[in-house]
Amino acid sequence: MNTAMDDGRGESPGEQTLRFRAITDDPPSSPPDPERDLEPDAGPDLQRDPGPDAVEPADDLTASGEPQPAKEDSVPDSEAEAAAELEPESDSEGEDPSEPEAEAVSEAVPEPEEAASEAEDASEGAGSSAEEGESRDGGEAREREEELPPEVVEALTSALGALRESVASLRFGLDLPGAEEARKASGELLAQLDDYVLPRVRMNTAPALIVVAGSTGAGKSTLVNSLAEKNVSRTGVRRPTTGVPVLVCHPDDRPWFAEGELLGGLRRLDQARSDAGPRSIVISSTEKLPQGVALLDTPDIDSVVEEHHEIARRMLDAADLWIFVTTAARYADAPAWNLLRLAKERGARLAIVLSRVQDRARDVVLKHFVRMLTEYGLGEIDRFVVGESKVADGRLPDSEVTDLRLWLAELSVDESRRAQAVRETLNGVLDSFRTRVPALAKHLETQIAFRGDLRRDVESAYLAALTDLDKAFRSGALIHGEVLARWQDFAGSGDLMRSLQLRKRARSGRQTPERIIAFRAALRTGLESVIVAAATRAAEEVNARWRHRAEAGAALAKGLERPSDDLVRHTGRAVAAWQEHVTELVRTEGVAKRSVSKLVSFDADALSLIFMVAMFSGGNVEGVPHRLVKALLGAESLRGIGAKALSDLRARIGMLFDEESMRYVQALDSAGVPDESAATRLYQATYNLEVAR
Amino acid sequence: MTTVTPQRPGLAPRLTALSKLVELGPGRLDPKLMAEAESLLLRAGDRLKLSSEHTVVALAGGTGSGKSSLFNAVSGLELSPTGVRRPTTARTHACVWGLEGAAPLLDWLQIQWRHRFARASALDKGEGQLHGLILLDLPDHDSIRALNDNEADRLIGLADLVVWVLDPQKYADASTHRRYVTELAGHEAVTVFALNQADRLSPEELAELVIDLNDLLRREGVEHPTVVPTSAVTGRGVESLKSVIAAAVSRRRAAIQKLEADLRKLEQRMSAAMPVGEALAVPSAVDEARKMGLVDALCDAVGVPAVGEAMENIYVERSNRWVGWPYPRWIDRLRPDPIRALRLEDVSDEIKGIATGTVSAQAAEVTNAVQALAEGLSGAMDPVWRSAVHHAARSQLGKVPSALTKDLTEVAPQLDRVPGWWRLLKVWQYALVAAFGFGLLWITLGLLVPGALPPALELMGDTAALPWAALMTVSVLGLGALSGIASRNFVELGASRERERLEREMRRRVAGIAETMVVEPVERELARHHAFYTALRSLSS
Repeated sequence: MNTAMDDGRGESPGEQTLRFRAITDDPPSSPPDPERDLEPDAGPDLQRDPGPDAVEPADDLTASGEPQPAKEDSVPDSEAEAAAELEPESDSEGEDPSEPEAEAVSEAVPEPEEAASEAEDASEGAGSSAEEGESRDGGEAREREEELPPEVVEALTSALGALRESVASLRFGLDLPGAEEARKASGELLAQLDDYVLPRVRMNTAPALIVVAGSTGAGKSTLVNSLAEKNVSRTGVRRPTTGVPVLVCHPDDRPWFAEGELLGGLRRLDQARSDAGPRSIVISSTEKLPQGVALLDTPDIDSVVEEHHEIARRMLDAADLWIFVTTAARYADAPAWNLLRLAKERGARLAIVLSRVQDRARDVVLKHFVRMLTEYGLGEIDRFVVGESKVADGRLPDSEVTDLRLWLAELSVDESRRAQAVRETLNGVLDSFRTRVPALAKHLETQIAFRGDLRRDVESAYLAALTDLDKAFRSGALIHGEVLARWQDFAGSGDLMRSLQLRKRARSGRQTPERIIAFRAALRTGLESVIVAAATRAAEEVNARWRHRAEAGAALAKGLERPSDDLVRHTGRAVAAWQEHVTELVRTEGVAKRSVSKLVSFDADALSLIFMVAMFSGGNVEGVPHRLVKALLGAESLRGIGAKALSDLRARIGMLFDEESMRYVQALDSAGVPDESAATRLYQATYNLEVAR
Repeated sequence: MTTVTPQRPGLAPRLTALSKLVELGPGRLDPKLMAEAESLLLRAGDRLKLSSEHTVVALAGGTGSGKSSLFNAVSGLELSPTGVRRPTTARTHACVWGLEGAAPLLDWLQIQWRHRFARASALDKGEGQLHGLILLDLPDHDSIRALNDNEADRLIGLADLVVWVLDPQKYADASTHRRYVTELAGHEAVTVFALNQADRLSPEELAELVIDLNDLLRREGVEHPTVVPTSAVTGRGVESLKSVIAAAVSRRRAAIQKLEADLRKLEQRMSAAMPVGEALAVPSAVDEARKMGLVDALCDAVGVPAVGEAMENIYVERSNRWVGWPYPRWIDRLRPDPIRALRLEDVSDEIKGIATGTVSAQAAEVTNAVQALAEGLSGAMDPVWRSAVHHAARSQLGKVPSALTKDLTEVAPQLDRVPGWWRLLKVWQYALVAAFGFGLLWITLGLLVPGALPPALELMGDTAALPWAALMTVSVLGLGALSGIASRNFVELGASRERERLEREMRRRVAGIAETMVVEPVERELARHHAFYTALRSLSS
């Protein structure tokens, strides 16, 4: 027992019949005999079931092509189709371009609006199939509105290539919320471009790839085996059963898949092997499948083996049509609906198979399922029901899959419809790029913005540290503790006075007093500790800010909680060098005041120390050190030395801090985030793609 | 009816340890773990208070696995509606064998009144072994309905024993395994897997499936899974499921076992998040060496040695004016003063004023010292605790420099102090100067005008006495120099003694401040760290 579900289908019959007409372009060689034989058989068989329902106009997508006999009521359709059926023999080339339009108009009498769009459809279908015919026969030049003239293909290919390039170059180095998704999405996008979009655009004549997907234990492999009438895919009670996707097609189509670019990244196998990696696919062929359609049995979407979900997703991304298989026990599972939502988002052509339906539950389950589908906005999808029946040798009884077989056969013979289905899915995928690529770009921008924020954190923390230091120098914070004590010692013990000498007294070769050395050392330690404290504070500040921002910031800051180990050493060196520099300045530039130097000589070491104290005493110009150095060096030269000494100190500290902050910048850079142009390139590539379409 | 809970010794101390962790954990332990620990503690408290005579058994599983059918098969009544629409059950149903004392438990489980059923009469039918069973039929966890409903999750957590109802179609679903089964390691005693709908398979298929399921469960960490093939339709296996349940019910241990398993799991996750490892080797107090190090560093920040040295130098320098031999001073004063040459006369007074012996602490050095202490102590700690120690060390950092300054200024040396003996010596020196002057006068007079002296001074005219007078004068000069040197030595001795005393006193005060403002907060944190890991260890043992 198999019935096409007909609840809630609102499709007009015209659409299908119209599309069907395009069969005219079938090259004489292509429809294989078995199919031709099948049709008359299938037709009546199918008719028996929906017969009583035939009053309802719609619903015969599953059977739309063949069952003309039963459709006498819809006269124009059958006429058109009759014509169509005849055409392959009579009309080999040079079809009148106006003919399909004219027919469309004549058919569209009941609903003019729809007719217009359908006329387009029809011509589109005709166009693409014309192209097919052309490429297969190799000779025909049709100047009809071809859907994909070579230059369009070229433009599209190059636009897609550019998109591929910019997606491939993406790196989402920062583990921000959504980064994992973005990485996955970009991987999927890339795989889909390689596996499906690029090959599909280049060779839009390839057979349609129908992917059978669904939950584990839903009976995907059984279904494929039954349709192929050959055990191409292993079945069994163990879940999950299928791990490697199995593609089955007509022998004539085999080269397309065995050598073609579709799913190019996967290793081809002749039969399932236990060592088959996750990136392989089994290809087998059978005469029982009609030409032009290939079935792909995929791993599940919801078992414990999570690699399967990815493989299934990848297969779905490469599909021209989806057959979604679920069961009476599963139709409310969350993963199933996630997949349906995905199909809807991608605009993929979809058919649903509800299998393992027990006879007694059939009506209730169907009704409920259809209601759910309708609520989900999927009420108009082709649906098939497979009853719960004894599975023999991995296959269902033939009677259960007749509907589906017919559907496939119809796709096979009706090239225009197949081409349209292919095109719809391709368009859906290309449409999905409109949101998917900008979403990636958006996340990239988030990453770039985040990196900018983190970098600004570093900059502002070290800038604040520099400002703090400046303030400390000015406020006299340095003249505390040991420095103060040494200064008192220096002044109070008379060394200060002794360092000033009258000119006429010759210098005895005395060495620098111990006290001056100690004072100098104290100043150095004080300065060092102020700088180190500021650097430590800055490092902590950066850490706190990064941590506060996000997990990713905390991960980046790992190992950078403290200033670098070299900081103290480098600071010591920098401060010592600065002191040298100041002494040198005092010695060379401090001679300006002639009037004083005639009277008094001074010890440059001591004077430079007094100068430093004066400098770090900040605004206290009335203080002893300030007045002393002013008297000794003169106001002019004091200002010069002061400015030089301060800027030199700042420069040295700046260098130290640069070195410190560089560690954070390096951590950021090593995370690997492309620059702003990558996001722009993405937008540009999306735009170009739209233009090329 | 609550009876004394028959607890194996072990659960109570471990719950105590857990409550200790909950008490010490905030801000240190991952908030998620923290919340789980709190809820487990609460749940354990609640469950142990409630009837220990009852065992809550939940039937859980995906939609369409036949939970309700199995529920009805076990209870022997059509209590829970079954159907072909998915999902069927949205509310939990409960069936109680032996009502007494079950009501509070059912209230706690939040089972609605209209979904409660009693099987009191079952006792007559030889189901006495099921007495005390509360069987729950849960809603599914994997349908689109369950996305917005955590009823199943909640009750899977609360139930004492969970029967996972699997079926041939869905037994390997990620939604069951990833979310629940992988979490079940250690829960073997309180978990049963019922492979339902066995009637759909041939015996060979069933055998293969059972093996596969066992393997799958073992791979996910369920060491010894109890798998019972059942069929609610044919009734096959329902009896064995019943007997598995009855065994658990009659032991009255499932509730405890469940809590123990949950506790173990939580403990493992805590230990993974914060490995006890070397944590207990971290001292719970600041050792003497570190304290010394801190005090040294703080002393340096104040400049204690420099203050002492300055005090000594200045003291000695100043004493020179009192106890020194006056002549060099006078000679010095005759020299031209460079300060005066620079017309900075008032500066020299100010320079004297600089040496007032004020003490202050350098804030940056204090910060670095405290930082170093925290760094040294927390080096081997978990980052969270490390930052907690740092935080504790710095809790009063802002006040430390001013406290040091204030406290040490009190003991700062009084440099303008003049001891009495200095004055005496000054008088003595001047007396010697006077004596020297007198001697000079004697000699001068004796030599120049020996006869012209008044009678009162005739001794001076005595030329024979002159050499003696000269000798005396020189001696007076020498005495002055000698006493100058001696008293300077004396001053130096006193100053260095004073310096030692001062340094000791300052150090003592610095240590006091370090103790109260730095070490104590740090030690509180260290003690907390220690207590936390001790509790964690006793939880795991």
